[in-house]
Amino acid sequence: MPESALPPQQNPPVRRRRAAPSGPVAFVWESVLLGWRWLARMRTALYLLLALAILSIVATAVPQEPNVPSTVTTWREGEAGPGVGVSRVLDAIGAYDVYGSAIFLAVLLALYISLTACLIPRIKAWVRLVRRSQPPVVRHLGAQDERTDFVTDRSPAEVRAAAAELLGRRRWRVRRHDANDADPRPDQVAAEAGLWAREGGSLVFHLSFYVLLAAIVLGQLLTFEGQRGVVEGDPGFRDTAVSYWAYSPGRWFGEGDHQGWRLELERFHVDWVRDPLAPGAGQPTVFRSDVRVTPADGEPFDAVIDSNRPLNLDGTRITQLDWGYAPRVVVEVDGEVVHDTFLTPVITDGGFFRGAVKAPAADPDVGLDVFLYPFAPDGEDGRPVPTGAPWADAPLLVFQQFRGDLRLGATQQTINELDVEALTSQGFGALRLGQSMELEGVTITFPELRRWVGYQVSSRPQVPYLLFGSVLLVVGLLGSLYAYRRRLWVVTMEDGAAPRTLVTVAGRSFQRPEAFEEEFADLVAELMAATGGAPAAPHPDPDPQTPTATPAVETTR
Amino acid sequence: MGSDQLAELSRLLYFPTTLMLYLGASVVYLYALTTTVGRTDQRERGRLAQRLGGILAVLGITAHVAHEIFRGLAQDRLPLGNMFEVTSLMALVGVVVGLIHLQFVRRRPELNGFVLLGGALVLGMAMLMYAEPGPLMPILDTWWRPFHVSLLVGAMGVFAAAFVFNALYLLRDTAELAVAAERSRSGGGSTVGAAYVGDVSDGSVTEPAADPPTSSSGSSGDGAELDPDDEREHAELLAYHRALRRGVPAVKLAIGTFLGTALVSWVWLVTADTWSAGLGRFLTVNLTMVAAALVARWFVPFLPPTATMDGLAHRTTAFAFVLWTVGTIAGAMWAEVSWGRFWGWDPKETGAFLTWIAYAGYLHARATRGVKGRGAAWIGVAAFIVLMGTYLIANYVIVGLHSYADL
Repeated sequence: MPESALPPQQNPPVRRRRAAPSGPVAFVWESVLLGWRWLARMRTALYLLLALAILSIVATAVPQEPNVPSTVTTWREGEAGPGVGVSRVLDAIGAYDVYGSAIFLAVLLALYISLTACLIPRIKAWVRLVRRSQPPVVRHLGAQDERTDFVTDRSPAEVRAAAAELLGRRRWRVRRHDANDADPRPDQVAAEAGLWAREGGSLVFHLSFYVLLAAIVLGQLLTFEGQRGVVEGDPGFRDTAVSYWAYSPGRWFGEGDHQGWRLELERFHVDWVRDPLAPGAGQPTVFRSDVRVTPADGEPFDAVIDSNRPLNLDGTRITQLDWGYAPRVVVEVDGEVVHDTFLTPVITDGGFFRGAVKAPAADPDVGLDVFLYPFAPDGEDGRPVPTGAPWADAPLLVFQQFRGDLRLGATQQTINELDVEALTSQGFGALRLGQSMELEGVTITFPELRRWVGYQVSSRPQVPYLLFGSVLLVVGLLGSLYAYRRRLWVVTMEDGAAPRTLVTVAGRSFQRPEAFEEEFADLVAELMAATGGAPAAPHPDPDPQTPTATPAVETTR
Repeated sequence: MGSDQLAELSRLLYFPTTLMLYLGASVVYLYALTTTVGRTDQRERGRLAQRLGGILAVLGITAHVAHEIFRGLAQDRLPLGNMFEVTSLMALVGVVVGLIHLQFVRRRPELNGFVLLGGALVLGMAMLMYAEPGPLMPILDTWWRPFHVSLLVGAMGVFAAAFVFNALYLLRDTAELAVAAERSRSGGGSTVGAAYVGDVSDGSVTEPAADPPTSSSGSSGDGAELDPDDEREHAELLAYHRALRRGVPAVKLAIGTFLGTALVSWVWLVTADTWSAGLGRFLTVNLTMVAAALVARWFVPFLPPTATMDGLAHRTTAFAFVLWTVGTIAGAMWAEVSWGRFWGWDPKETGAFLTWIAYAGYLHARATRGVKGRGAAWIGVAAFIVLMGTYLIANYVIVGLHSYADL
């Protein structure tokens, strides 16, 4: 009597499946598994990419603190932007520093976990495919996309040898099959190509993102970037940690990693299309520095830094970032010189340059808010007319004089800005080059006008790795889009009626059928030429006993 | 010849010569398309029209290339320095690649008209940003520029062609679905084999009877000699055509196109000097796109099978994606040389990144089994909106490092 026919209570005790583990550990483990599976889905990856895109839009629409801290300050204080309330919300979600925010890092991390979860099974499957797969032997050729028949005088074995040789030369995987009792499938050469290149290309494409990420992380640690302005003819500056105006080293970039060279600006060349009616009026035409570099242990040499030709010093790159006019301003109080240096004012939207003189040596402090109009020719009434033109044919230095407390060190201020909180205005003045004037006991002289250039000095050891990752990316992309997997069979059969061989070539492609069509025609033509074949009508199926319902190819997908 | 004359000549070659030739070729090709599904006596005229269209297209391309050469000579540099030049070259690349692909690779010359129409639209758009020839800023004067810019411009042109194919696919697919739905209501509820009404002869479709075919037979001179069977078939065909067109509601299409274009063209609205100028440009762009959509709707019955357009969209997108990837990497390399950093999330860089993500999304959607056909085509359309949107926004709205080149 079968057990199932017994009444339930007489059934042998069923061995209970071990109870699923429960408790907090199991809960955590199951959650991890669930999350992993969720991350492994393509749809999830697409959502994460979308999130990344949205974040980058936010970062474009909202000023970013690492790039434009002053704009962010104005937003926070409500002077510009959507107002203080919205600004607080933006701050809370990290919108002022999107690429350093927790949300961005979380999305990036999730994306990489997702990529990993997606890739691990794919790599396993791909390795299995490459190692184990061999071209399937076909039973009958009716179902193939491409098929051509021809006849030849050569023996079937010769034709198959020629086909195998031809396909092998073209780097197809070739498998010969001779019919026997156990396996009645017809005599043939089966071949497959593009088996690993397409999926392999896709894998290389995706793996290149790990290379890029590693290079970027490495870069964050090892990189160094500093900015420094240099006035023409000045002693310049030395490559040390303290000499940069803005300095952002990576975590692993130590002070000893600086090379200690000295950079001097001998002359800066800049010019524009000056004819206001000419096409491209006002555009710069030259933007070049002649510099002198003195290595830490070596002879000084001259070099040129151009827009697209930065100076390379042992992996440190010096790029021209911005420039301005550098007026020399001398300030005397009671016959004593309290300020005599070149200013480095920066260009504004109005076409003039704005800077500041800070002379704490005077008592009380002297501060000048300086506006330099490079081209302000005298008008008909003899008064200067400022224009927006950048060439220094008629420079005019306009300043507002302050006395009081500069609050140097007490507040954060840039070299081109005065903190007027504790200063009192004493009036305005305007000077031509070489002129001098006295205002409330302070003598201001404008004896000289030079130019200054802001240089960016950067060391990026990660760039070669990034380049390597990019090459991998493109190569993988090409493979994944343009490689195509296809199979081909050359089936031979002796003609019962005459001493000749009937040859059938058939093939199918998994991707890019239009490309395979041409390749197929090409292969057939070559095989016919090699075996002296002549076109023929489609041959009967070589193995008529085979039921037609049998699938032609065991598909691997 | 002085550079002024050269500039004038290049301007004339651009407008009206090239624009008119493209439009003319497009109209002739589209006419030829209508004859491919018609009666045999019309096919001969269609072939003639196709040949004429081919001649016009070649003339147009010649004029366009001549324009680029003369413009280059007039300003003594490659014409890739500002937005007008880039957009114009984008149209040229799109037209040349699209025509060669259709004519020689896919052997579907009947679709040439749509590529030319797209080219004419892009040319017209470039007119909105016309700039007189001028010299180049020193920072752009390097071999990096043609390398980086022409790759991206080429990619944009091919993306534009892919957009045309996606849009045509959606039109045709919508029409076919609507016809199938209609038939399943009036017929036995099955949608199998609904793609072609002409193969059903049991009269379950009522439209052919309602519309006598007399109006159409008058157009051809020897129509009277056709035998009645042929005539009936023709009438059914016309009815099917009408059903297909009805499948795409014109009002809905027009509103949808207007709103879809507005997703991009609002940029003109907000950045023009005056309200009226901005509104004028906005409406010009939108209404032109609506008109193009309505023209395309009229041609829905003559479009090739949806699978063809689907394949064309996929292949062109894949090609453009490679160009875009390499062009963006080249841009990063140039930025490393020129600005001392390879990637700084400048608006233009963000735009390139967003476009890359959008088209990567399209290719992934195509690669997985979940999203096929309509879903993928909509993603393709959305990706093109991202491309055009970021292109215009980064040039007009948010000023970044790239914008000093106005490109």
